[in-house]
Formats: sequence, C-alpha cells, structure tokens
Amino acid sequence: MSNNPFPLNRDELLRAYRIMKTIREFEERVHVEFATGDLPGFVHLYAGEEASGAGIMMNLRQDDHISSTHRGHGHCIAKGVEVKGMVAELYGRSTGTCHGKGGSMHIADLDMGMMGANGILGAGAPLACGAALASKYKNDGTVGISFLGDGASNAGNFLESLNLAAVWDLPAIFVVENNGYAQSTSRDYAVAVDSYVDRAVGFGMPGVTVDGTDFFAVHEAAGEMISRAREGGGPSLLECNMIRFYGHFEGDAQTYRGQGEVDEIRKNRDCLKKFIQQVTQTKALKQSDLDGIDQEISVLINQAFDEAQKAPRPTEADLLTDVYISY
Amino acid sequence: MKVGLVANPVSARDIRRVIANAACMPIADRANIVLRVMAALRACGVPRVLMMPENGGIRRHLTRSLKHENKLGHVDFPSLHYTDTSVTGAVEDTFAATQAMVQEGVKAIIVLGGDGTHRAVAKHCRQIAIAGISTGTNNAFPEQRESTITGLAVGLAVTGKIPSEIAVFPNKMLKVEKNEGEISDIAIVDVAVTTERYIGARALWRSDNFRELFVTYADPEVIGLSAIAGLLKPVGRHEPFGLHVRMQSSDTAKTIIRVPIAPGLIRPVGVLDFEDFPVQEPIYLSPESGMIALDGEREIDYGPEDQVKVTLVQNAFNTIDVSACMRYAGEKRLFRADLPLI
Repeated sequence: MSNNPFPLNRDELLRAYRIMKTIREFEERVHVEFATGDLPGFVHLYAGEEASGAGIMMNLRQDDHISSTHRGHGHCIAKGVEVKGMVAELYGRSTGTCHGKGGSMHIADLDMGMMGANGILGAGAPLACGAALASKYKNDGTVGISFLGDGASNAGNFLESLNLAAVWDLPAIFVVENNGYAQSTSRDYAVAVDSYVDRAVGFGMPGVTVDGTDFFAVHEAAGEMISRAREGGGPSLLECNMIRFYGHFEGDAQTYRGQGEVDEIRKNRDCLKKFIQQVTQTKALKQSDLDGIDQEISVLINQAFDEAQKAPRPTEADLLTDVYISY
Repeated sequence: MKVGLVANPVSARDIRRVIANAACMPIADRANIVLRVMAALRACGVPRVLMMPENGGIRRHLTRSLKHENKLGHVDFPSLHYTDTSVTGAVEDTFAATQAMVQEGVKAIIVLGGDGTHRAVAKHCRQIAIAGISTGTNNAFPEQRESTITGLAVGLAVTGKIPSEIAVFPNKMLKVEKNEGEISDIAIVDVAVTTERYIGARALWRSDNFRELFVTYADPEVIGLSAIAGLLKPVGRHEPFGLHVRMQSSDTAKTIIRVPIAPGLIRPVGVLDFEDFPVQEPIYLSPESGMIALDGEREIDYGPEDQVKVTLVQNAFNTIDVSACMRYAGEKRLFRADLPLI
C-alpha cells in the first residue's frame, strides 16, 4: 500500500511544496531587499499565507483566470507567473513581467490567466466576474477566481460583484483571505456583518470557511467549489482564515499587533511547517525530496535578483508602448 | 447563581454548504438565539450568564442588542459576563471556556453548535449538565427546539424548581485510545473510520470510503454518520449499549442501505454486518490504515502498526432533559401567573 494518504500524487505534492516554498523564499528576499531602498514603490508580502494561494491554484488550469489584490506575489507564483520576470517587475526593469511599468501592485500575465494584482480594494472582483462571464459565453469550463482581503469585503465593487455573479449564475469563486487585519483596522471597528460567509448567503450563494493555514483543507474545499462552478453549479465564496508574517506593507510599524504575536504564529501557525510535517510524518514525501527543491529554489531566487538588479530600465522610447491597444 | 453559555461562531460553515446545500445560520441569528435564551433564564430567576468570548461577531451583536434592549426596557436579561480565556478561533477556546465555567461554579452550560461543539464542551464539563441548541450542520446530538424553551427548562432546573432526577439525564460517550494512551479522545454520538487518511476539510461525505462505525445511540430521525446505525437498528439514548457497524464499498457489499449522510445528501452505504456494542467492552479497529472521525469530523489517523480501541462508557456526562422539564412544569403548573417563577 502506498504511504501517501493524500488526494494528490507524489508529483502533485512536490509541486505544492515547490509553490509554497518559492513564495516564502521570494517574499523573505523581498523583505530584505526592500529595506535597502532599491525597490521602488510599495510591497505587501504574502509570507505566512502560502497555503491559501497554493491550495486553490493547485485546482486550476492555465486557462482559468484569477484576479488578485495588492498582496499579489503569492497568487502570481502559484498561478505560474515566471519568478524572474516578477522580480524584474518589482525593480521596474524592462525585463519585468509588465516591462517594468506595473511594479509589485500591478503584476499581470494574461498568458497564465493572471489578470493582475490590484492596488484598489475589491477591484479584482468585477474582473473575475468578467472572466467568468466569458467562460459562460464560451462554455469552455473555465472559472474566474477573485482573491480579496477582509478589508475589501466592505467595498461596494465587491458587494456588487457578489450580486452580479449570483444573478448571472457565473462560474466565479470569491476567496476572502482573512488575515484578521484590514491594513491596521480591526473587524470590530469596521464591519457590521461579521462573517464573510453570511454575506455570501445574503446574496444567495453558498459560503464556506476553512483553516487557511492548512493546505489540504484549502485544497479540498476549493476543489469542491471549483468543480461545482465548472459543472454549472454557480458562484460561491471561500473564507480562508489565515495569518500574515509581516506588516500590511513593508515599513509598517505594526503597533496594532500584540506583543509576541508574530513569534507565536511563526512558531505554531506556519502553513509551510504544517505541510512539511503532514507529508513527512505520513512518509508521503521524504525530507530529502524537499531539500532538493529548497536548493533549486534558492538558486532560482538568487539568479532572479542578480539578473533583475543588472537588467535595463525602460527608456523614454518605451513610454507609450503597452499603454494603448488597437482592437 | 450563574449559567454558562458556549456559542460557536464557526459551526455550520464547512464544505457541506457546497456539497450538500446545508444550512448556514448567520451570526446575527446566533446572537438572537442567545438573547432569547437569556430572556428565558432571567424569567426563571437566573441573575448571571457566563459566556465564552469569541471574535466571530456574536459578542458584538449581543453588546449592541443589549444596549438597545436596556433603552427599550421591554425585556429583562441576566447580567452577561465572559470567561477570562483567550480567543484563538480554534476548538481550544471552547475547552478553555468550559473549564473556566466549571471552576466558576456554573449550574449548567447551554451550548449553541452542532455535534462537534457539544463534543468539545462534553469533554471538559465534568458533572455540569449541558443543554444543547442546534446551530451546526448535522445536529444529531442537540435536539431541534426553539431556544426560548431550552432557556426556560434550564432556568427551571438550575433554580431548583424541578427535581434533579427529572431534569438531568446521564449520557453515554465513546472513548477512543490509540496505542494505549498515545492519543485519547472522545465522541458523544459516533466514531467512524474512513479510508480517507487525511484531515483536509474535516467533514465526511464520501460514503464508499466508510469502513467502521461506533455509535452511542442510533436515531433513525437524524442525519449524518449515526443515521447509518439508526437505519439498521434504532438504539435509544437510554439503552445500556450502542451499535457497531462494519461497512465496505457499495460496489462489493451484499447489503446496501440509502442514508441521509449530510443535509439533503442521501448516499448508498455498503454494510458488512452490525452488532450491539456493550458498555465497557472495548473493540479494536481492524488493523488497516485509516482516518478516525469523531462526531463527523476527521481527527486521528492510524496505520497498520497502530492499535486503536473504542470503548462505550455509560453515565459519562449529563444533559438537561428539556422535554422532561417542560412536561413537569406543565403538570405542576409552574408557569401560573399568580405563582412566582423567581
């Protein structure tokens, strides 16, 4: 009998680990490099939240579409956006995913179904509805996924999108990544309807809450919701309860967090540690399997940053390219 | 005198909303249930309620509503206090709050949740009686009833207006032990073994993977895993035995029954055999690999090298018998307006 108790085969487990570990290493390195002052703009790190992005995206196809948030690095990597292009984009270099014109908060790669990180709260929700509407017209079985933070759940565009998805019966899934802080505002202060699932029910669609620090919980719940949407079952909402290791943005003093809170969650609620424990204790994977991937990721991240720092910046001649499009 | 109250803000939120159209009780409704219970308790003379703190929104709704009610002055409520326990959003909150309530000397604990929440309270409530209100998914343990009635029954019981031999009902419990104490846990309705060997989204619904089932009682009027037993051989909560069912894939089983395994989800279940499960006579699980679900949630994995035994225990914890309390109250005219309830 196989040692693997999970609903993913060995290659899929390795891929899940590779995604989560790549996100973690990417974000830890951005944290270091941003402090040097060389990275322009703002960055919002996804470290600690990897199980959500990986658990959902492992159920997706390349032609499925996602819309992301300002905290979009993890979603990009999990959806298959190329890491070297992302790092170059963060540095504003012409080799970047968006030729250096987007930066951290606007990385998009339509070939991979990544419709963009987004600096406007909740603005990804109507984009996901658009992708889901296209899917419905084409009848191609794809889905549109909108990632949102808990802060965006009060935004009108999110609530309008829930209504739109419900009345048009779209293959759309709204993923509320609830890390407990809307920037620095607590839910008590700003939200009258406390449960995001209650909002889904209010718009006539099912809502589910999962432990967003458990890859397998997210993967199983998202898998059922995505299959349901592909088969014509309509929209749904998934709330992933999770934690972030860093501040809202890099440079956030985090005075709103409890003393020792980050140490505690890094020690006891780290989704990557939990995944490693789950797959190695059951002997589904060996530590040596993971060590090999770690080395590859380390090389990739180092190369990506070295190459990005040396890459050319966009020139004046590039100013109007990628801006207008003729239909 | 005070009554404890545990209201789980995250029961009825799991994947069965998607795979089975299960109900989803809004937070505001849960808070309203608490208000109705509190009003009923106060009407019976209970001055204080000690509640589990949570950050899911129930507390905030209660604070707002009690402020409004104070201004309106239509209904009296007991004073509301919270246990000094931490809020993590995990089941440990319920464990800690229940322990604190026992230490504070509450006379009973009212529980809002499904089978899982009731199990969490039963694990730590000792001899303090539980009164259940269904706000979960399967709700085999808590009976379906308007919460005002539950509040009245508890109020009458804890203020001594109903003899304890009528008000309090002793319950059976299942104890699960892996490798002689390496892991020990309990279930109040059912222990199930499935071939799915990961915890994942926790709920069980793929009936072809079920292999063994132990129940404290087998009610044919409930949904969930215990319904399998209930539809094979009903066993009452009073009877001094449970039921043990062995199952196999419906592709190979000679006996197949259709079971409401989740709300609105009726699935074929292949049955190998079943037998009475006597008290204090442990049964060891088949030496294969699997996942053990306690009251419907995947909790403990085990492999061929592990020894897992399940034991049925009688008089393990107490509940308030709401039906018996209200019948007694009616027979004795306890609610006559010319007699003081308080």
